[in-house]
Amino acid sequence: MAARKNSPNEALGVPDMLVTRLLDAPRELVFSVWTDAEQLRQWWGPKGFTNPVCEVSSRSGGAIRIHMRAPNGTIYPMIGTYQEVVAPERLVFKSSALDENGQPLFEVLHTVTFAAEGHKTRLTVQAHVLTTTAAGVPHLKGAQEGWSQSLDRLNTRLNLMSESLLKPNS
Amino acid sequence: MGPDSLSVTFAALADPTRRAILARLISSEVSVGKLAEPFDMTLPAVTKHLHVLERAGLIVRGREAQWRPCRLRAAPLKAAAGWIAEYQHVWERRLDRLDDYLHDLQKKGKQNGRKKK
Repeated sequence: MAARKNSPNEALGVPDMLVTRLLDAPRELVFSVWTDAEQLRQWWGPKGFTNPVCEVSSRSGGAIRIHMRAPNGTIYPMIGTYQEVVAPERLVFKSSALDENGQPLFEVLHTVTFAAEGHKTRLTVQAHVLTTTAAGVPHLKGAQEGWSQSLDRLNTRLNLMSESLLKPNS
Repeated sequence: MGPDSLSVTFAALADPTRRAILARLISSEVSVGKLAEPFDMTLPAVTKHLHVLERAGLIVRGREAQWRPCRLRAAPLKAAAGWIAEYQHVWERRLDRLDDYLHDLQKKGKQNGRKKK
């Protein structure tokens, strides 16, 4: 089982997820809302969710502990560790969502980059899957609001993703 | 799919050679010998990759002793792609909220006549 040991897949180059966004705010500000626990608490998670626990020590080796609370009261705990904190340009952290017994559902390595574009900031999040379990999928779905409405979009993306997973050089 | 089967899929997909093999199988069944042709590696090395793909359920191999055609099985691939797509969705929603938060934060800063820093 995946359990708490270091993942055997860790060294493997699994295909990655990538999202990017141009934010209308200066880079220093964007970086600070990521690394200051009180600010992070205000926005982490989908709309309508709160974060009753939000503890981050933004330094290399520092711990992350966030409990996300859904509007229906369900708590989604997450733990992690910073691998790299380079203000104001780069954050690398590993995180795991936990099930009700505190066991990891999946472990993902995230690389977040902050690039200045004039007065705006180009934010890029790359996620590299280290391990996951079958139980991790319904968990992801449960953490969504209005998920069923986006099924069409999901299907389109699924097809694109299937193709991109097979790209020989990624 | 049992627990951890997604991890097995991700691990199998982690290698560029194996992804290239799968890509080759999208259009048709192919024999091992034919599959090995474009790669600069020995037949046993290619066979090893095929075993990994077979164990992950990403391919099935025919029974004929001589020409054992490999065929793609899309289900685990879809599961892996599905996982990544779901995770991407989570991040899109999260960045929506970050965008809103930054907007409010800066508006407030201007109203109070003082900017951060």
